[in-house]
Amino acid sequence: MQFKRLISALLALTAVPTLALADSSSRVALVPGGPHPYFAAWEQAGADAAKKFGLGSADYKVPQKWELGLQNQMLESLVTLGYNAFLIFPGDPVGTVAIADELADTGAPVIALAGCLKDPSKAVFCMGTDTGNSAYLGTKELLKELGSGAKIAHFTGFLVDPNTQLRIDAVNKAAAEGGAEVIQVIADIDAPEPAEEKINAYLAAHAKDVDGIITTAWVPAVVASSALRKIGDKRIKMVGIDHDEVVLKAIKDGFVHGTMLQNPYGQGYIGSYVADRLRSGCKVKADAPFKSNALTDKFIDSGTVFAGVNDVENYVGSMQSITNTLFEGFESTYLDC
Amino acid sequence: MTDIRQERSGAIGHVEQRQSSRLTLLRLLLSNEFGLLVLIVLFALIFSTVSPAFLSKFSLYALGRTAAVNIMIGFSMMVVILTGGLNLSVGAIGVSAAMFGGLLMEAFGLPWPLAIAGGLAMGAALGALNGVIIVRSGLHSFIITLATMSIFFGVMIFLTRAESYRDISPVFTGFGRMKLFAIVSPLLIVSVLVAVLLSVLFRYTALGREMLATGANERAAELSGIRVNRMITYCHMLSGILAGVAGVMLVSRTGAAIPSMAGQLGQDWLLPAFLGPVLGGTLLTGGRVSVLGTFLGSFLVTMLTTGLLLMQVGAFWVQTYLGLLLLLAVLLDLFRRSYLTRRKLI
Amino acid sequence: MSRRIWENDWFGPLLVVVVAVAIVGALNPSFLSPFNIQILLLAISVNAMIAFSQMIIIAIGQMNLSVGAIGGLAAIAFGGMMEVWGIPWPIAAFLALALGLVAGLANGVLVAFTGISAFVITLATLSAYKGVNLGITEAQPFYEIPATVKALGNETFLHPLPWLIIPCVVVALLLWYLLNRLPLGRSILAVGGNEHAAELSGISVRGIVITAHAVSGLLAALAGIMLVGRLQLGQPTIGDDWLILSFAAPVIGGAILSGGHVSVAGTFLGVAIVAIFTQVLVLFNIDPFLVQVVLGVLILWAVGINRFREVRAQRHAEQVAT
Repeated sequence: MQFKRLISALLALTAVPTLALADSSSRVALVPGGPHPYFAAWEQAGADAAKKFGLGSADYKVPQKWELGLQNQMLESLVTLGYNAFLIFPGDPVGTVAIADELADTGAPVIALAGCLKDPSKAVFCMGTDTGNSAYLGTKELLKELGSGAKIAHFTGFLVDPNTQLRIDAVNKAAAEGGAEVIQVIADIDAPEPAEEKINAYLAAHAKDVDGIITTAWVPAVVASSALRKIGDKRIKMVGIDHDEVVLKAIKDGFVHGTMLQNPYGQGYIGSYVADRLRSGCKVKADAPFKSNALTDKFIDSGTVFAGVNDVENYVGSMQSITNTLFEGFESTYLDC
Repeated sequence: MTDIRQERSGAIGHVEQRQSSRLTLLRLLLSNEFGLLVLIVLFALIFSTVSPAFLSKFSLYALGRTAAVNIMIGFSMMVVILTGGLNLSVGAIGVSAAMFGGLLMEAFGLPWPLAIAGGLAMGAALGALNGVIIVRSGLHSFIITLATMSIFFGVMIFLTRAESYRDISPVFTGFGRMKLFAIVSPLLIVSVLVAVLLSVLFRYTALGREMLATGANERAAELSGIRVNRMITYCHMLSGILAGVAGVMLVSRTGAAIPSMAGQLGQDWLLPAFLGPVLGGTLLTGGRVSVLGTFLGSFLVTMLTTGLLLMQVGAFWVQTYLGLLLLLAVLLDLFRRSYLTRRKLI
Repeated sequence: MSRRIWENDWFGPLLVVVVAVAIVGALNPSFLSPFNIQILLLAISVNAMIAFSQMIIIAIGQMNLSVGAIGGLAAIAFGGMMEVWGIPWPIAAFLALALGLVAGLANGVLVAFTGISAFVITLATLSAYKGVNLGITEAQPFYEIPATVKALGNETFLHPLPWLIIPCVVVALLLWYLLNRLPLGRSILAVGGNEHAAELSGISVRGIVITAHAVSGLLAALAGIMLVGRLQLGQPTIGDDWLILSFAAPVIGGAILSGGHVSVAGTFLGVAIVAIFTQVLVLFNIDPFLVQVVLGVLILWAVGINRFREVRAQRHAEQVAT
């Protein structure tokens, strides 16, 4: 045990020379909203962080379904089991506030991860992708390729998720600024079957009327990528989201223009580390340079980058460098220790 | 199949005075409610042995709070099942009622008791609408409530644009976070109260009996002068109100009225809605309810989920174990009944 | 007893389909383009399997809530066997179908021998099967799907008829033959109509229940496998939202939920109605926030037409009788 601690301390020293030995009683839980490939990197990230910084544990705990009630029940059970720091992807930006506040009241640091809680909440901060901004930037990238006067279609996720409205607004804003027109929004296609049906139906009828496609949710991005490959259309430009293999491959083969990458590994890694630091007495600086987004004024961008055909091969590397940059400056920028 | 029939005659509750006390005892032991109670105690023992934290104050409090809402959702389905129908729109109605209550509080500044009443009235109205369409069209409630689930939820999402109402009276949200004796959530007390009211309705009032008669045999009920259509509409209205209560309870707990509280189209509520009544011995063909059974059934399912989460079976396997435990639960219940039947009757 | 054509179960839904196609085709000619017809047929092929899988259980007066879970499990088993073990796709497909059959058999045996309502049993197995799916995949899709499978899932053998329509038509014909011509089919409907009477007339109710559930599992697995081809992915979420469709299509097609009466043609048309409505919402660019409302209204309209026809037929019959 001692030996392991030593090793991890040494490892930590090589990475971040200023790092002090962490409090090993920290038990961090990383809780996504439900089973989803996006969060898969959290498991490794938590394990890596726990090893490197000597945390008691940093475990990835997945609710079995995307249900607010189930996530709440899981968080409650984790408190009972003695977890004392929580990194949560809010099942709903407003609906998760109550349970997050309850967790915070037990003295555990709570960080909203990957998605934000709507202010006011007792979450220390939110670290993730600014969903609106990512959609905005993605549309900008698409319009760079298409020019003004373009007609674009927008495929997105469940309307019950308030983030969907933010994405729709952001895409419309970017389109208006770039002189383009969003001619259709298709939503509620987070399940593969309806996505397949609706996206193909849309392309069958309107492929000639549309110049570009922006997708702002995982499943629509995957399905639209294969649909474009299927009809062999390279005229229609598409910008996807996330790093599903299907999307990345379609980019390589020229059917998709690019994708807006997010940084789940960095979120889980830095999040676990910060949760532990907060438990060992660090405080968030009063004047920490948080950003603002539509949900919160305590936002830290975990990095969103556009990856086109040239960046796809090395996207892991580029995300790692973002993670490293964010990590190195984190303690001095945001924390008082 | 024979077991179900026995259970039916054994649990209806009209225990006649003249029968011997031995038979009364047997009926009690054979009843679904007793079986559920046994299962609850059994699983509580198992869970608390494996994970002592199961009996910690916070765990019990959280369990009661979650169960309270599931019980209410179960009741909401139960009162429609008793007519031999189904109500797939419980979730959509519950969310719509909660959102309407939230709107009244936030946009119109109504005091919370009035806003809650308004929300429940919305639930009642939507439920009644279901009932009227079903009665008038003569179509099965399944297909009607499938369509109205889409419509109610769609209109709600369209009007609110998926925005939540957060300006909820602190008195009301405080209620959802209160702890009585450190372990009891007031929400659970609301559920108990509603359960008592429902029991009274079905046991001691003419209205309740007419509802049951309608469910048991529509034609016979009609011949004996019961206005069958009206009873069906009332049951759907009651279902809407109970769904509204569940929605409002969630508002009190989360401190906000949120469109996603029951998932896409309110579908997240469907499983708890059916599990409670069906485990509790409510027949899907109608005509029989067990309020206590539904209460215990919903509680059992909530407890199984919590217990499994605490036992930390591999992250992705929880659902498998939940399914197997459910099977085990119903099978144990079956063996209990057939064992008792064999031992005491022969 | 010969029935007049409009007294058939499938007549109402057929009327709805014809009217809908005529209206939509007139308003938006691209609806009838070969490519769009291909897309429509692809959707119908898979969804029909899902609906049939439920229909056979509705026929015996029960419900199978685990249809989607079995389909999803077969789908990821199919994808997983090909990706992880490198099994050739026909064998993988066969094994996945066998898995579906076994899952359905398990449902059937549990229901038949315990006498517990199928609703409860399949609710429990739904959790169990879905849990196994998540346990295996950890929510990650299988990506390595052979090109042949992808092609079969998307391409046409005779423009605009997709390959997937073949299993769909074969299954539909077999089911029709089973339910209308074979003694087994009549036994299935008899058990659904009146279990007690069926038993008295010498039918093995247990055997029928087990058979129906096995067929249901097999068809659900087939739908899952077909979807892997169509999506070109072994997605763990396959099957999550089948439940409502699986009931809606048979019911629109005239099935009675208490059992004993189903219509293969009606169910098929029910699937077509839902697929057409889904497309209409996209073609006419309905405000996404209103899509659900419109879909709900359309379903009411479809069943309403059917009901109106039935009521008129009934009145007509009464008038003739008096």
